[in-house]
Amino acid sequence: MGKIKENAFVKKVGFNRIVLVFVLLMMYLAFGVLTGGKFFGTSRIINTLNYVYFLGFLSLGVTFVIATGGIDFSIGPVMFCCALVSGYSLTTYGVPMAASLVMSILIGFVFGIFNGYLVAYWKVPPFIVSMASMNIAKGIAAVFTKTQSVSWPQAAAEGGWYRNLISLNRIPIGLIIFLGVAIVCAIVLNKTKWGRYILCLGSNEEAVRLSGVNVKRWKMLAYIICGTLVGVASIFFVAAYTTVQPGYGDQYNNEAIAGCVMGGTSMVGGLASIGGTVIGVFIISLLQQGILALGFTKEYQYIITGLIVIAAVYSDVSARRRKN
Amino acid sequence: MTNKKTFGRLKGREVMVMGIIVAMIILFSILSPTFRTYTTFLSVLDSSYYIILMALGVTFPLITGGVDLSIGTGLVSYGLIGGYLIVTMKMPVGVGIAACILMGILIGLFNGALVALMDLPPFLATLCTCMITRGLGPALSESFGVSWPSAISESGAFRKIFKFTTAEGTVIPIGIVFMIILVIIMSFVLEHTRVGRYTIAIGSNKEATRLAGVNIKFYHVLAYVISGFFAGLAGVAYAATYATIYPGSGAGFELDAIGGAIVGGVSATGGVGTIFGSFLGVIVICLMKVGLPFIGLQANWQQIFIGIILIAAVLVDVIKKKK
Amino acid sequence: MGDIILTMKGIDKSFPGVHALDHVDLEVRKGEVLALMGENGAGKSTLMKVLTGIYKKDSGTITYEGKEVEFKNTREAQDVGIVIVHQELNMLGHLTVAQNLFIGREFKKGIRIDDKKMNEEAKKLFDRLNVDIDPTEMMANLTVGKQQMCEIAKAVSFDAKVIIFDEPSAALTEAEIEEMFKIIRDLKEKDIAMVYISHRMDEIKVITDRVTVMRDGTYVGTLITEECTKEDIINMMVGRVIYEEPKTESQVPEDAPVVLKVEHLNAGRMVQDVSFELRKGEILGFSGLMGAGRTETARALFGADPKESGDIYVNGKKVTINSPQDAVECGIGYLSEDRKRYGIVVQKTVAENTTMASMRNFMKGIFINKKKEAEVADKYVEALATKTPGIDQQVVNLSGGNQQKVVIAKWLTRNSDILIFDEPTRGIDVGAKNEIYKLMNKLVQEGKSIIMISSEMTEILRMSDRIIVMCEGKKTGEIDISEAKQETIMNLATRECE
Repeated sequence: MGKIKENAFVKKVGFNRIVLVFVLLMMYLAFGVLTGGKFFGTSRIINTLNYVYFLGFLSLGVTFVIATGGIDFSIGPVMFCCALVSGYSLTTYGVPMAASLVMSILIGFVFGIFNGYLVAYWKVPPFIVSMASMNIAKGIAAVFTKTQSVSWPQAAAEGGWYRNLISLNRIPIGLIIFLGVAIVCAIVLNKTKWGRYILCLGSNEEAVRLSGVNVKRWKMLAYIICGTLVGVASIFFVAAYTTVQPGYGDQYNNEAIAGCVMGGTSMVGGLASIGGTVIGVFIISLLQQGILALGFTKEYQYIITGLIVIAAVYSDVSARRRKN
Repeated sequence: MTNKKTFGRLKGREVMVMGIIVAMIILFSILSPTFRTYTTFLSVLDSSYYIILMALGVTFPLITGGVDLSIGTGLVSYGLIGGYLIVTMKMPVGVGIAACILMGILIGLFNGALVALMDLPPFLATLCTCMITRGLGPALSESFGVSWPSAISESGAFRKIFKFTTAEGTVIPIGIVFMIILVIIMSFVLEHTRVGRYTIAIGSNKEATRLAGVNIKFYHVLAYVISGFFAGLAGVAYAATYATIYPGSGAGFELDAIGGAIVGGVSATGGVGTIFGSFLGVIVICLMKVGLPFIGLQANWQQIFIGIILIAAVLVDVIKKKK
Repeated sequence: MGDIILTMKGIDKSFPGVHALDHVDLEVRKGEVLALMGENGAGKSTLMKVLTGIYKKDSGTITYEGKEVEFKNTREAQDVGIVIVHQELNMLGHLTVAQNLFIGREFKKGIRIDDKKMNEEAKKLFDRLNVDIDPTEMMANLTVGKQQMCEIAKAVSFDAKVIIFDEPSAALTEAEIEEMFKIIRDLKEKDIAMVYISHRMDEIKVITDRVTVMRDGTYVGTLITEECTKEDIINMMVGRVIYEEPKTESQVPEDAPVVLKVEHLNAGRMVQDVSFELRKGEILGFSGLMGAGRTETARALFGADPKESGDIYVNGKKVTINSPQDAVECGIGYLSEDRKRYGIVVQKTVAENTTMASMRNFMKGIFINKKKEAEVADKYVEALATKTPGIDQQVVNLSGGNQQKVVIAKWLTRNSDILIFDEPTRGIDVGAKNEIYKLMNKLVQEGKSIIMISSEMTEILRMSDRIIVMCEGKKTGEIDISEAKQETIMNLATRECE
């Protein structure tokens, strides 16, 4: 075991990540076998990938927030708010498709500013801010759409080109975009000043402040990045499913956080891995699809995701306890 | 930090919230004549019972400096399971009610174990149980919605606890009487028993409480058990006031209760809060929920308002502390 | 004077790398107040922690009321009547005074807590101690002084026979101290023995019967307070041989310009009207005892804590410093005494910590120039002789002295000209200490200016060109190194504050 950990390749990629990939493959095989091979079919793969896209962006976003030692569980409802408000503008007020997509991202961005400002500058506990903006997001979406569900255009309809963001001529454009954004996120987190400060302040905010760094600004930035990515997630959600209903979105909070924490991002901040988050998102998405494929209802998804997050966070907590 | 001003036995914050309640009633009454009816009064009360019960319970974890986000989906799932036992399994109503409360206590224990024994962050741990309970109710009851026995039926007597209809047909909301009794009991628990005392102590300074020889783990877990127990009761109240319980609902209910508690003066960082304050805070929330449609704002505005009020209530504390 | 109630004999205690207590003796009698004195780090608090079971002793015996005892925790000590009144207060701000006094042992009437009886008992207790505190008041609303009284009352309520006061007056005002002394005298009448740890000479003279002095973890001697002078005590406290040659004269050229001027700095009780100047190439020592307000002065100057008033001039230009960011812009760097909390980000690497304060110089477009970062980090690892397997090492794996070097590297990278070293060698072993000293000397030769806060007399005398002494948040003296003696400094540091 020790030897494996010392291996240069293993060291570079990270032992935990290799384990995660292994888990992912085993899960895939297990589901395949249990469903008598049906799970290996293209439609299942497409379903899983569709889930990966929007959940992936949510998870990438919340990784930045958790890296600062904070939390944001308004992301699911905010994503729905973005999709509903811009979708309603598109279908009812005739806003052009491109503008609607930009609007989605913009709404997420504004929520990011709102959350970040309250947490960083007013020191409101993150869970309160999350609860409040979850409510506000749901409320705005419901008021704006008059509690009607919104259906974005089908692929063939006018403006349906946005669905090509997911796949075009059987090329999984969505996957390419998602991995591309993930790489950008990894670069931001590891190679730029933004990421450096976000990680450092998550680890020891006071030391960073005493180095003459404006910690409030960087903390707020993490929430803004998160909000923006939530906006992007909403585009991929509608591109995959077209229909959005007001009042929902809560369950994706947990799944996004699950992906992030499973990937090795520490709940107390300072430690985050975009690569881990990506693998985590694949695992969670596969799990959701697998549970459905095995004939269980979505209720079991909730229960299992809940238990997984508890297990992942507990292993993080106890690892830290062992270190001290 | 603490409100020095007291009016008799009331805290300054409580008096302020009472003032807000009166102002809201006056405002709504002026703007909408239909608001001034007995039916509206009844609907405010009806919509408040399960939220009040949740708030009474969640005040305890909030005062320890934690939170319990699982109560909303929890109460729906307990109601579903209780209803399943009564309707599908043909068990007596008493068993359903007991199951409802028992489930609440069990989930409370689970939360307590996660937070107090395993040291998980409270908001994350209970967010997970929120998801788990959301799945649990429908999964166990295998249902698309459960209706507990109606008031007219023989076994529907439990509904009369909340709403009693006389022979002449006038409705007497005796539920509120029970709520007030519970408020008094829980105020007693919070202010005059060791359970309450140590709950506040944990929220105030956990380490100092431990050094004083208090078994903090026990009392910390207990705070979540109390919260779970009241979520169970809230499940019963919800089943009694509403015709049908649908799986998938319940997400966001906890916000009304936690928001109410915080409006009523419970500190988001622990140590401060009263049961009566939480009760008043919930009344503010319920008044708003029922009242806003009367003045022409559709029901969903309430969500936005609750969010804003929540932030405002916390900001008031933050600004006070800064001074 | 009463019978002996407590004897500690030959108490020995080592921590990794430190011999904290070296066969220390202590004897406490009934109805007396025994002062326990010594410089910071002399081992007073450690001794008391050994007594009350917080630390386990390596050897030696403790005899209490004629029996040999060893307590496993404070609770056990409390049960037999040895109670410690802590320096830091263990208060539950959200509960009332009476509720705090009886936390964990409430009076009960059925399931109900009998708050009325608790209030009455608290009232009785306060009456007995002659203090005026309302038992129903919220703890958070009391002044620090009153809170301290409550701690004492709590100790008394345990039927204590020995009460240990660990710097009880550190946060009290004069009037509050007077009040506390009244209580102490009262307790003396009741034959309770007290150990009083304090740095304030005037208090010692007023309230104690005997003085036991410790130095560097050893027992020096015991004096009868009435029969000795302040000078006697100070001589015992500082009477150590100084191995390292102290500086004899200032190394700063006559015409060196003033780089930093602080005028009438005020920040709470711990920083009152502090003014001083720092010249180019100078090491300005800040001496004083624990709680003299030196760190607070530095933090206020650096913008880490808010200040009430005061002007700061850097290179003759008036500057506004409201945050560490402002201070860093002015070329000031602060090396905290608590490195792990305020100095370094332990989970990050040597390189990342090195460039923390000067990211903007390490950017290539939007990217961090890791090559340049590595070059600079390498340069300082070499220049400061930091012992690390590499610049990619997490700082948590480095020793204290090397962590300190990483912090120094951080400010050197930022090109800060004014460096505030707060206890630069605390928790650093002897060899590494000398390296840090050499480094500081080299820095001033290169034209940096240093403010050095230190509680170690040898360090102050060895390094400083000029010494400022603080006591109780005020500047009490300024001495050129050529005139500095241990006794003079200690005199100023323990100056009887009016």
